[in-house]
Amino acid sequence: MKKVLVLSLVLLIAIMGLSVKITMAAGAVGKELEVLMNQIKMFNKIYPDIEVQLLPMPNSSTARHDLYVTYLGAMTSDPDILMIDVIWPAEFAPFVADLTDDYDYFELDQFLPGTVKSGTVQGRIVAIPWFTDAGLLYYRKDLLEKYGYDVPQTWEELKTVASDIASKEKINGMLFQLAQYEGLVCDVAEFVHSYGADFLDANGNVIIGDADNHARLVKALTTLKSFIDDGVAPKGVLTYMEEETRRPFQNGESVFLRNWPYVWSLANDANQSKIAGKIGVAPLPKGDIENGRHSATLGGWMLAINNYSSDAEKDAAKKFVKFLTSYDQQLYKAINAGQNPTRKAVYSDPKIKEAAPFMVELYNVFINAEPRPITPVYTEVSDAIQRHIHDFLIGKKDVEKALKDLESELKMIIGQ
Amino acid sequence: MLAILITAFFPLLKTFWDSLFSFGLRPGIVKRFVGLDNYARLLNDTRFMTSLINTLIFTAISVSLEFVLGLATALILNADFALRGVVRAAILIPWAIPTSVSSQMWKWMYNDQYGIISQILYNLGWLAPGTPILSNKWSSMFAILAVDVWKTAPFMALLLLAGLQTIPSELYEASRIDGASKWKQFTKITLPILSPTIAVALIFRTLDALRVFDIFYIMNKSVETLAVYNRHILMDRAFTGAWFGYGSAISVVIFLIISIFAIIYIRSLNLRFE
Repeated sequence: MKKVLVLSLVLLIAIMGLSVKITMAAGAVGKELEVLMNQIKMFNKIYPDIEVQLLPMPNSSTARHDLYVTYLGAMTSDPDILMIDVIWPAEFAPFVADLTDDYDYFELDQFLPGTVKSGTVQGRIVAIPWFTDAGLLYYRKDLLEKYGYDVPQTWEELKTVASDIASKEKINGMLFQLAQYEGLVCDVAEFVHSYGADFLDANGNVIIGDADNHARLVKALTTLKSFIDDGVAPKGVLTYMEEETRRPFQNGESVFLRNWPYVWSLANDANQSKIAGKIGVAPLPKGDIENGRHSATLGGWMLAINNYSSDAEKDAAKKFVKFLTSYDQQLYKAINAGQNPTRKAVYSDPKIKEAAPFMVELYNVFINAEPRPITPVYTEVSDAIQRHIHDFLIGKKDVEKALKDLESELKMIIGQ
Repeated sequence: MLAILITAFFPLLKTFWDSLFSFGLRPGIVKRFVGLDNYARLLNDTRFMTSLINTLIFTAISVSLEFVLGLATALILNADFALRGVVRAAILIPWAIPTSVSSQMWKWMYNDQYGIISQILYNLGWLAPGTPILSNKWSSMFAILAVDVWKTAPFMALLLLAGLQTIPSELYEASRIDGASKWKQFTKITLPILSPTIAVALIFRTLDALRVFDIFYIMNKSVETLAVYNRHILMDRAFTGAWFGYGSAISVVIFLIISIFAIIYIRSLNLRFE
């Protein structure tokens, strides 16, 4: 008996001496935090010597950005693992560990290519994709059936269907997120891309003034504004973010909604949603021109490792990141937190088909989701787009003036 | 004294010193001395000018409204009536709620679909149904002013009430015997004795209003005040370029504007710190 006690004591001391403590910045949206805590328990069964401490972050992505600026600017070694938005890798690249040599270790060839591209900055891999997001079109299946419509394929079609049903049902037609914030850039990018236009080209040059592109931009932006002007979308969308559009939709106050995948499980939860079971999900409509295409903005979160952490902490952090992005854990997260996997193979798992069938059906949307510009000055580019396009949408500027102002500001930011 | 030097003056001097340089937090950016260039750039920055004007408009309107309402409330609360203590405590509730919470609360009340204030305005015919209050610059400004007045007028009232209670009642009795009207009592006794309290209250509120951040940041980011713009420069652009000196320059400008206001108040109200 005494021997066992001494032995276990020795073992305990040995483990404590060898154990590494790492901290991770974690989100707490919906069931995210609870799921992550369970994942840590599973992780500790394999690696009892690594202790993971969580640092819950605010829900707002901007507030998280501010915190990271403070941590990294002060060069502290905590948190060791940073949960970063897909648009930040280029900006944070100088502060996080270079994972290029670990490409095989993380099995990145198994991931959705778009998500890996988001974490690659000038050929260096700086972040590992954790879960992905793409803009989707939610619709009221019951109402479309009632009035005999198919799911609209183009924006003009969507307008016709939405305004017809909306006027008969006395509800809103369509809801977007067009407050002046990052979400506006996502919604606008989907419109602009669906008309085959863009603000920057693949090399990061401003192409707003290019003749053909300019015409498409104008068409895309005026179509978006016509949704508000014609009353298909309420004027309030100019002040709405994600949650302010999800709530009216799940209260049955809108025919269509543009939002991220997280809405699915909430809007189908009969405890809080009035339209549970009456919802359909589809790719967002195409632009009404030749070569118009369905486009979805790529969203989601990645995991990066703090470059100021010690080597031992970095090693432990890599183990935990690999664990979290493994097949089994992505499946677990998809089923329990409703967050889309970044590994291709997980989408064909039968369990996911049962829990979130739309993830499988819309696999093409996720694999083809389009990233926002990858540039170290992204926050500035986004801020400029937000201000000038919002000015246009609220009617403070006409489209030509807004685009001209945006063009000159973007050129200044990028130094073109 | 040493503590004051370390906690108050060192950051101030450091910020001023930083504002003379061009630098950023991104590795590879060389810290370069640029003299007063950052200040010259501010003059040509339309976004800075707009946020400066927004801040001044907000300060002027919010502080005057809060002062008038606060003084009226204080005079009422100074009178004798039943449950005086309870009422005094109750009016402080808006001030006790954290600003971030009350801003979010009011934002919901302004919502165009389910917000109670929007509903009332639609019913009165003052606003076309479905118009979001926070989508337009001027209606946003008034909506935000309403929140600030609701929140801070009680605080102003409490400060002034404390001042009112130091006025000995004999003064009023004597003046009544001499035949002074209520208005005369107010202008000749109440106001002069209250003026140091008024000065302190105004300084407090003006300085707060000039630094206003949370209400604007939460309710409508498209209307920027100096503090909101400064946050954007210092946080959003921290790793994207050499913006830190520029952000420090804005901080210094905010500090200077606040000092000017403080000096004006102290001078014009003959306040002596003894």
